[in-house]
Amino acid sequence: MGGSEARGWLPRRFYSVDAGLIGLASGVRRPLTGVWRLTPGVYRQASDMDVLQVVISGLLLGGVYALFAAGLNTIFGVMRVINLGHGELMMLGAYTTYYLYAEGGLNPLLTIPIAAAAMFGAGLVMQRFLVERVIGQPLLSSLLLTFGLSTLLQGLALNRFTADFRSVPYLSGSIDLFGLALSRSRLVAFGIALAVTGVTYYFLRSSRFGKAIRATSQQADVAQVCGIDVRRVRLATFALGAALAAIAGSLVAMIFSISPEMGRMFLGKAFAIIVLGGLGSFVGAFLGALMLGVAETLAAYFTTTQLAEGVPYAVLVLVLTLRPSGFFGVRE
Amino acid sequence: MAVEVAPAPGMRHTGDMPPILQVQSIDAAYGKVQILHGVSLDVYPGEVVSIIGPNGAGKSTVLKAIMGFLTPSAGEIIFDGGTITGLRTDLVVRRGIAYVPQGRIVFKDMSVVENLEMGAYAVSDKAQVRRTMEQVFQIFPRLGERPKQAAGTMSGGEQQMLAMGRALMVEPRVVLMDEPSLGLAPRFVELVFEKIGELKAGGMTLLLVEQNAVKSLSISDRGYVLELGRNRFTGPGDALLADERVRRLYLGG
Repeated sequence: MGGSEARGWLPRRFYSVDAGLIGLASGVRRPLTGVWRLTPGVYRQASDMDVLQVVISGLLLGGVYALFAAGLNTIFGVMRVINLGHGELMMLGAYTTYYLYAEGGLNPLLTIPIAAAAMFGAGLVMQRFLVERVIGQPLLSSLLLTFGLSTLLQGLALNRFTADFRSVPYLSGSIDLFGLALSRSRLVAFGIALAVTGVTYYFLRSSRFGKAIRATSQQADVAQVCGIDVRRVRLATFALGAALAAIAGSLVAMIFSISPEMGRMFLGKAFAIIVLGGLGSFVGAFLGALMLGVAETLAAYFTTTQLAEGVPYAVLVLVLTLRPSGFFGVRE
Repeated sequence: MAVEVAPAPGMRHTGDMPPILQVQSIDAAYGKVQILHGVSLDVYPGEVVSIIGPNGAGKSTVLKAIMGFLTPSAGEIIFDGGTITGLRTDLVVRRGIAYVPQGRIVFKDMSVVENLEMGAYAVSDKAQVRRTMEQVFQIFPRLGERPKQAAGTMSGGEQQMLAMGRALMVEPRVVLMDEPSLGLAPRFVELVFEKIGELKAGGMTLLLVEQNAVKSLSISDRGYVLELGRNRFTGPGDALLADERVRRLYLGG
């Protein structure tokens, strides 16, 4: 079993953000393995243990994806706005963690609530002064607005943070679990993502305001005649979504290298997840995220990282063609 | 102004009480299409009032204007002595006007109890919410029998009961109902009007918009006939039912 030789993995920031996948997917045995597998057209025989390890690694990653997609999905549900700037909120969360760690010397885990609070605030401002203006307008208006926001934030980030890849080498290395080498940072990120997603789910299911969010999401007009101030619901939802994206960003910074362009790639993943799970289905999106995490990691393991990056888009096309309502969504 | 088909009806039910809800010559439009042209109506405490008229008469639009879904471009809406013209919907509700939307719209993925709790969103006193819910269960026993059922899995008639119960949860002083019998199976149509009768007997003030003019006028104290966004006739329900002109215009008699 190769995994038992695990010795920690090197951040491969000279590839894409996703390159970290390879290190983990291969169980990080020999430093050269990742490079070797990146060669296009090279396929290899895998042992069962290797595959199991890859699947678990993908599930762990999927947990972080789920956190990111949950915010996007909830925002869409409540205001019928596809927030194309969601990836940049994540990117800003990631950089908040990076700078507080690299220059503030803060423990990366402690930066998470700070990043979340900062993006919660940014979300409030964005919703109150920008997104609220396109509520009820044709979809194109909100798409253009959020695309503009996305581009603006990305440009500002390139300008301020430079295009260099950064990473937060925290909790590096892996631990041995039943003969499987699992990345410590991924395990921790998964645990946090799961906890935050769970708390969000519980909040939406059980709290009074959470139910008001769901009511607005189902029937905004009727929510209003229940005495719900739907503008306040929209404000809170956007801010909550932004905070979830920021937490996902902080976690990603501990797993992968980050860059100002990372948001676009994660947005693509989130679309695939939401389409898989069915638009507006919280549980569906969670399962979709785990599926995508596994699919990507397997693809990276058996083919190349470059090909693995295409997995979300392949999923998008396939699901939209074969089963447009997703696998867990509500039939329209 | 509307032609009165019978002598001034207001006094009949209300003694000296002023109207609780007054719509005073409102104009309203969807975009550039003007729907209402100077529509007026009064609702006195304890009355059931129906708005009837052919399709496109603007009946539902009157209710939507009262609820603040659209703002009249002219005229006033007075509730309990104060203007609510253009007031935000959730604040209209908090003033004491409840609304049962057309098409028995419920929160499908929520249970019966959760739907009713949402109806009471404006009420912060939990004990009061419990009491009101008990009352709603007495009026609609079917809801009390299945508190945990997801609203989306109920029949159309049951969903309409739930939508009505949800509106009652704010303990409103006036309830507006938009086409409560539309699209329901005949036995549920009967049930809806039976329940409206019970609410009226309990002292509730109701303003109905109905396609089913005969049924709704027969349980109403008064009615208004709209045509093309204007008041045409008004009077006691039975007088409107008996009036030749109303029958010709609308009842197809």
